Amino acid sequence: MRWRGLLWCSAILPLLPVALLASATVEGRVELPKSHSAPVQAKRYQIVTKGGVLSTQPPLAVVYLDGTFPEPDSLPTKQVTQKDLTFIPALLPVRVGTKVEFPSLDDTYHNIFSYSPAKRFDLGRYRPDERPVPSQVFDKPGLVTLRCDIHEHMRGLILVLNTAYFVMTDTAGHFRLSGLPTGHYTLKAWIDSKTTREQPVDLKNGQTLHVDFP
Amino acid sequence: MKLHAFSLCLFACTACAFEIDDFLDQLDTALTISAFQDNLRARLSGTLDLEIYHFEQPAPGLIDSKIDTLFNPRLTLFLDTQIGSQIYFFAHSQLDRGFDPSDHGAQVRLDEYALRITPWEDGRFTFQAGKFATVVGNWVQRHLSWDNPFINAPLVYENVTAIRDKYAPYSPADFIYGPYYAQKYAFNPVIWGPSYANGFSISGKLGQFDYAIEMKNASLSSRPESWLITENGFENPTFSSRVGFRPNEAWNFGFSASEGPYFRREAEPTLPPGRNIDDYREFVLGQDASFAWHHLQVWAEFYEARFQVPNVGDADTFAYYIEAKYKFTPQVFGAVRWNQQLFGTINDGFGHNDQWSPNLGRIDIAATYRFTPHVQLKLQYDYQHETTGEGEDNHLVAAQFTIRF
Repeated sequence: MRWRGLLWCSAILPLLPVALLASATVEGRVELPKSHSAPVQAKRYQIVTKGGVLSTQPPLAVVYLDGTFPEPDSLPTKQVTQKDLTFIPALLPVRVGTKVEFPSLDDTYHNIFSYSPAKRFDLGRYRPDERPVPSQVFDKPGLVTLRCDIHEHMRGLILVLNTAYFVMTDTAGHFRLSGLPTGHYTLKAWIDSKTTREQPVDLKNGQTLHVDFP
Repeated sequence: MKLHAFSLCLFACTACAFEIDDFLDQLDTALTISAFQDNLRARLSGTLDLEIYHFEQPAPGLIDSKIDTLFNPRLTLFLDTQIGSQIYFFAHSQLDRGFDPSDHGAQVRLDEYALRITPWEDGRFTFQAGKFATVVGNWVQRHLSWDNPFINAPLVYENVTAIRDKYAPYSPADFIYGPYYAQKYAFNPVIWGPSYANGFSISGKLGQFDYAIEMKNASLSSRPESWLITENGFENPTFSSRVGFRPNEAWNFGFSASEGPYFRREAEPTLPPGRNIDDYREFVLGQDASFAWHHLQVWAEFYEARFQVPNVGDADTFAYYIEAKYKFTPQVFGAVRWNQQLFGTINDGFGHNDQWSPNLGRIDIAATYRFTPHVQLKLQYDYQHETTGEGEDNHLVAAQFTIRF
């Protein structure tokens, strides 16, 4: 009876997704750029302008495990909101195939578009109460820069990744990526459109690896 | 074969444009600065326009050129500064061949500068002082090359009429028939472009309504030289206003009015005895509407104007345009605009009633291709036809290449 159970287990194990067996963790720190963006809104020809200032976005990085991983059956839908003339979040990492919705919480029109090779689209002008909320499926890996055709200062980024294992750093650059599969991989830190750092990692079951990107 | 070559050319330009796109994004970051914990923020930006016009003589609109093919480069710089949450300052300078396209030499101008104070965050009240575009109508918001679906302005903003601001006509016949002996630049349109005159404005938003009132040193029809505070003080101010109604994001309606003297100071000796420039005024009533939804945008403006003309009486005109823009793909959009201007009649002093300028209609068709978020190419064709008077036609073909940074 015991032997039969073990046989069943050995037969089923190779069929399980790698993620279910994952148990390694990587943590560390990414050296983030010192500068931060403090956007200025051009209000020259707006008859009605509101007071207040645009929120500033601290630089953040995305740390991800590069490799070939099984395709998921479904992916959760993500959102990039337009609020107070800003994209929230300003940086969103997603897996290839993810649908991203763009709800607007402002009482003025936006016109989100991207000319990035990874995804070229123009959502046009839509009211905040329009349903379904305009969305796009990001089906190619790469960096997608979101802009607004009406508000020149608005910038957002969607980093489309070929991996399920990614995490954003906090504003100090700290990250913790858990539930990783064991094996030999490359750990990458995307810092900005020009800078991606990488380090080879050997992930072992139950181990927490410390990796810094100076 | 030609189509193939054109596609290849577009592809090559796009590839090249993407190369400089990264550079322009970095330049944008470098030209945006902040200090005092982001309480002071400033951004320097601009556009470089390379325009080519081909037309028949006399040149249409406010184009001032004796040659039929005109190259008109233009460098525009903007400075936007936010100080705290309530103070905003902007300036706009241009290096070009004249405020309107011309065959003259290069000149540098400070077209706009203004300080804006918004005491309440909800925008119920804003005060602005400086040299800035008029609050009248809805064209000003898209008059710059990057935002304008066309290369030129609607007819009402650039069609010169028989109105002269430098000297008064000595008879109705001189007013009606006189234009043919003078240079085109001696005459004025109903509204001269965005009318960057000097002055003050208050504006704000109350629920679905918005309001704006301005006091400027020059009337809407005044030429760019008259907008300068060094040329024209506030002895004879022009008052303009607009009330807007926005039931939702898609629709916007506005009613504008403007009133002020239109003669320049040098016209005073030519006025009838005992009269001064304050006695001859331009009155404008305007209605505007706009609609936007998904990839379609539509604008329309209607203007009724009256000029009090010495030795003549009242000269009335009505002008309107309807303009539509549609984005076919993220990078390609087309636009079409129908413009018309109709003129009232005046007794010529010999027992005949005649129109004081020829009625005319103009159709503008334009297509724009955006290579990147910083680079675009615009092509335009206009056909203008006078429906009264000489019945002259004019064709204009224009191209505009813009780099925005």
